[in-house]
Amino acid sequence: MAVQRILLYPNPILKRMSRTVERIDAEILQLVEDLVDTMEAGPGSVGVAAPQVGVCLRVCVVDVSNNRHGKDNNHGRLLMINPEIVERSGLAVMREGCMSVPDYTGDVERATEITVRFSEPDGTQREFLASGFEAVAIQHEMDHLDGLLFLDRISSLKTGLFRRKSYK
Amino acid sequence: MNACRKAGLAHFAVTIIGKDRPGIVADTAEVLFKLGCNVEDSSCTMLGGEFAMILIISHEKPFSKKQLEAEFAAKTAGGGLSAFVRSLKDDEVCYQEPTGELCLVSVYGSDKPGIVYRITRELADRGVNITDLNTKLIGSPAEPVYVLMLEAALPQDLSVEQASQLLENLKKELSVEISVRLITPVSL
Repeated sequence: MAVQRILLYPNPILKRMSRTVERIDAEILQLVEDLVDTMEAGPGSVGVAAPQVGVCLRVCVVDVSNNRHGKDNNHGRLLMINPEIVERSGLAVMREGCMSVPDYTGDVERATEITVRFSEPDGTQREFLASGFEAVAIQHEMDHLDGLLFLDRISSLKTGLFRRKSYK
Repeated sequence: MNACRKAGLAHFAVTIIGKDRPGIVADTAEVLFKLGCNVEDSSCTMLGGEFAMILIISHEKPFSKKQLEAEFAAKTAGGGLSAFVRSLKDDEVCYQEPTGELCLVSVYGSDKPGIVYRITRELADRGVNITDLNTKLIGSPAEPVYVLMLEAALPQDLSVEQASQLLENLKKELSVEISVRLITPVSL
């Protein structure tokens, strides 16, 4: 067990672009283990990205199988090294919160289906279609690898619903 | 956690409303900044042709409501803005996190008296706590349509389905569409 402390914004590490993992060595394996331990320790946490524990490498873990939104549609525990989204479709809004930005939530629009590709810790390449909450969680964690927080993506003010437009 | 828990601060609720124009927020913020006040929480929006600001502000003690009122009076004189200041007690400052589910209730239909009243009374009687509410009159003058959107925290013993059921009878009675959906934030 090596539960790491989750960094909170305004820690500048959270706004940094993470580096690609060149070689999966003992250090990376340890990082993956730490991320899993940290995710399991966070109440209701469904994912942690390396920058959240202070490491600017493109590694994140996601597991929505115990969450009510994800339990019927998931790929189990995902240990993702150098994840990439190769295709995305659909858009849906969900109100998100983040362990690194406590006490605030916002409506974020994200793709409802993504094809994601990544390396597993043993070097195996995986690629599959994720949808629903799992897709949202993957996109949220991957944003951390690009130094993006959900605050960068809030899609509307709550009152945005009522903005007048002229329809011709 | 929230800055509201800082000791040694005096808190005030400030309401400012006036005919909309560019600069209302800047003018208000300028008054507050020069006085050394912090804007702890705020919600500001256009309502009809008015711009309405509601703010929770703080200032290190000692600080009096009178100082605030005097500054606003000077700034708002002749500008068509009205300002109102209320001192807050400590237990009024902190946001009480809801424990139950958060849901969005949307109600819309032909305008008629009593839509807001009937919906919110039903919710209140069941212990549902409204956290946000907007209404708008839309449609044409000949066929006005009323839209009400509210967010509410359900008590622990009330599910979204039950909340929806609770409002079911009002659909017919008011002949409006009502939907209730879950918007409890997901923590990632």
